[in-house]
Amino acid sequence: MKIVEFLRPDAVIANLSGQTGQATLAELCRPLASAYKVDGQRLLETLLEREKLGSTGIGEGVAIPHGKVPGLPGLIAAFGRSTTGIDFRAIDGRPTHLFFALFAPENSAGAHLKALARISRIFKNATFREALLRAGSADEIFRLIEAEDAKY
Amino acid sequence: MPTEPLPTALLLAAVGILLAASVLASRASGRLGLPVALLFLLVGMLAGSEGLGQIAFEDYALTFRIGTVALTLILFDGGLNTDLASLRRVLAPATALATVGVAGTAAVMALGARALGLGPTEALLVGAIVSSTDAAAVFSVLRGAGVSIRQRLAHLLEVESGVNDPMAVILTLAVTGALVAGERPGAGIALDVVLQLAIGLAGGVAVGYAGRWLLARARLSATGLYPVLTIALACFAFGAPTLVHGSGFVAVYAAAVVLGNGPLPYATGLRRVHDAIAWFSQVAMFLLLGLLAFPSRLASVAGPGLFLGLFLAFVARPLVVILLLLPFRLPLREIAFISWVGLRGAVPIMLATFPVLAGLPVARHVFDLVFFVVVVSAVVQGTSIGWVARRLGLEVQATPTPRAMLEIHSTQRLAGEVISFYVERASAVAGSRISELTIPEGSAVMLVARGRELVAARGRTVLEPGDHVYVFTSPEDKAFVQLLFGRQEED
Repeated sequence: MKIVEFLRPDAVIANLSGQTGQATLAELCRPLASAYKVDGQRLLETLLEREKLGSTGIGEGVAIPHGKVPGLPGLIAAFGRSTTGIDFRAIDGRPTHLFFALFAPENSAGAHLKALARISRIFKNATFREALLRAGSADEIFRLIEAEDAKY
Repeated sequence: MPTEPLPTALLLAAVGILLAASVLASRASGRLGLPVALLFLLVGMLAGSEGLGQIAFEDYALTFRIGTVALTLILFDGGLNTDLASLRRVLAPATALATVGVAGTAAVMALGARALGLGPTEALLVGAIVSSTDAAAVFSVLRGAGVSIRQRLAHLLEVESGVNDPMAVILTLAVTGALVAGERPGAGIALDVVLQLAIGLAGGVAVGYAGRWLLARARLSATGLYPVLTIALACFAFGAPTLVHGSGFVAVYAAAVVLGNGPLPYATGLRRVHDAIAWFSQVAMFLLLGLLAFPSRLASVAGPGLFLGLFLAFVARPLVVILLLLPFRLPLREIAFISWVGLRGAVPIMLATFPVLAGLPVARHVFDLVFFVVVVSAVVQGTSIGWVARRLGLEVQATPTPRAMLEIHSTQRLAGEVISFYVERASAVAGSRISELTIPEGSAVMLVARGRELVAARGRTVLEPGDHVYVFTSPEDKAFVQLLFGRQEED
């Protein structure tokens, strides 16, 4: 499984403008709603439901909000970068800069978990995280993710 | 005079009866919506010289001493259980509330007391004494009413009350000291406060790190000796900084936070012991304070006491909280809730014994007033907290408690821990077989508690919403395991 199989270049946002966690999640859902013709509000509610259980901010400035949505064709994802950082109640208490939102169809538990593992794996690399923060455009961010993803 | 061991036997029999009565009385807390501490206080009053028990007790010095020890142990337990990451998230607003907020509350309360016709010194003393809150009171009411509030809000309230007692203590001692010396309390107090807080903090952190070092190298032969060592650290963390003009309460809390966030040997056991000690301290302190009160004298201050209690709840606390928290851009609903839950606990009553000891002429009147304010605060705010939390939409769904617990007991420093999770529909793992979980090699699902059953964690076992799942995780995998499972259960 490769991340680029479910992350499209047009679902990468180089500069998230939201100031709060909820605004940021809404921003991440927007490109997915238009690209895959799904209800953006539904996507957002799914993410918020999961955040209620505990933040998906896994520390080191990374968050992986996720959830299952019935009726999706397959895994879909969006990536966004906040240069200023957002208080996402991450487990290390530090601001979150890199958001990777992942959605899976209702019956795809296995694929969903594999994708989460893969995503959290690539973000373990500190050099990669710094490169993402420095990248000049959404295209460059996508290429960086693609290249990092190909390593494993 | 009867000879020993009879007096000791009598004392122990009485203590036994009082402690047991208090513990059993606590069961009524949920039904009545009253903080458990208030019930302990009532048991003490019932047993007192004017109650059924006819126990004549009027030793303010002993009360102050036992109260200080009890508070030290309670703060130590609070610090041990304060997670550094959550502390960091609420540090700025909590610190503002615990320092400037306490001073502000004291000032506004002094104005209120002035309005009642109290002298300026008396008013200032009352203000300083009732200026700090008690988180244990808040949480005992919330738990009793079956209400859970948002985590950050809960942490903010907890940290606020964990760190605001020192400020009230310093203010009270400073005002009393100035009064005894016949001076007007002035700007010197502000400088003194900063000095005491700084020395206390530095001393506490130092004791905390020294304690870590000691615990890691102690290699004690019996596990039961570890809590003795931590109790020693708590006593020392209070005592040593206080001797060099630091705030002992800040120090003991800081030392415990440093210890609690480090690698503690025998951690689960230690936490349990300190939890029990904190409860014991709470019961003992409130019982003693109840014994010390004279209901007949309280009746004579009912009018002013009620006024001050209501003034605190409706004017002083809200005013100070709103002014201080607005710059932090917290949701207004949360600010409203924090304004309302300024419950007072044992600290004000204990502090009120200090002017009595210092021999101030107004002291007994102040003591009675403070006692009344605490009771009013506990009753008015205590009985309404659950309702207010629901009305403000701050309640979150609490997870049911599992019927079984799995934990590791170890005297050695171990990498890795057992975490329990409550599986909800929104958890990524819900509906998955354990074999499908992409947990790294160093971690594993160990046990599933489902309803009345314990289910073996086999590859084929499907995790269902409502399951309590125990996962062993190494430190490096913890973040990922939390990402997959979602809601971690508190112990």
